[in-house]
Amino acid sequence: MAYSEKVVELNERPVNMGTLDKADPNVGTGLVGAPACGDVMRLQLRIGDDGIIQDAKFKTFGCGSAIASSALVTEWVKGMTVDQALAISNRDVARELALPPVKIHCSVLAEDAIKAAIADFKKKREERAGKAAVAQTNP
Amino acid sequence: MTCWNCQSATGAAPFCAACGKLAARPPGATHFDTIGLPRGMDLDVGALERQYRELSLKLHPDRFAHADPRERRLSLEQTTGLNEAYKVLKEPVRRAFYLLKLEGVDLEREDGSSRGSMPLAFLEEVMALRERLEEAREAKDLDAAQAMAGEVLTRQQEALGQAQDALRARLASGGTDADALQRAGLALGRVRYFTRFLEEVAAMEEEALG
Repeated sequence: MAYSEKVVELNERPVNMGTLDKADPNVGTGLVGAPACGDVMRLQLRIGDDGIIQDAKFKTFGCGSAIASSALVTEWVKGMTVDQALAISNRDVARELALPPVKIHCSVLAEDAIKAAIADFKKKREERAGKAAVAQTNP
Repeated sequence: MTCWNCQSATGAAPFCAACGKLAARPPGATHFDTIGLPRGMDLDVGALERQYRELSLKLHPDRFAHADPRERRLSLEQTTGLNEAYKVLKEPVRRAFYLLKLEGVDLEREDGSSRGSMPLAFLEEVMALRERLEEAREAKDLDAAQAMAGEVLTRQQEALGQAQDALRARLASGGTDADALQRAGLALGRVRYFTRFLEEVAAMEEEALG
């Protein structure tokens, strides 16, 4: 099965591949896996206090379509608000990459990874807010 | 289903009991039905081989070369179904995945969501394993990769054992033990990720032999 041009391009030039500091309170990490193939994808977003995504990195162990899907969404989300990023659907990814039906799960993985990363970021922020509230009541 | 030839009722058997003509494959027939063995995790491998050989001979398209077109087509269909059933059932890993699917959990689904399927701690572990393997690959350190593969193989076998136990419990409960089904799904999920890792090591070995 031949990969689409866009998939090949993103595999040859995997921009945004790498890691962000997991401990950074502004970094959300999403880690997802595909039960159909046993591949794993990690997506990390650095989100400013204004809710704008400043940076995005990915690390994917999987087929070319999975790598391309994660690379593509890291390109897309930079500069987006959290809500805009949450609106990205796997169908957008599959369409852009012209994924065949057997590779749709790769785009599902990328969508899930964005959602997981944002959920992680929100959890961190709530924990921070909780601690700040506790610190305020117990000076 | 009724026999296309004599109109009597046919079951899961490949031949019509009344007239002996080849029957159509009933929709919803399982691989166990096709091969004529009871559904279960613990299959009598000898019986599987025997049934497969016997049915292959009986259904072989060569035997129907001069039969009417309908029987020729059915012989092909039945043989294809038989081969697929044999392939899935003889392999313990594939048999376990298939039983899980019959119980309503399909890990092969292409549109399956990845959320909530495996515990995060497990995925973190898989990620760490894959990263270590990548380092070994970049350093061309085949020994390190093979040592990791040894550990992962042990864990894959453990997970398969747990999946088989859970599937036995599920089947023994008559399909009501929801906890056993969940355990089977998680254990087979682990099998899948470990298998993927082992495939990567095998690919690395091939590269090294290059």
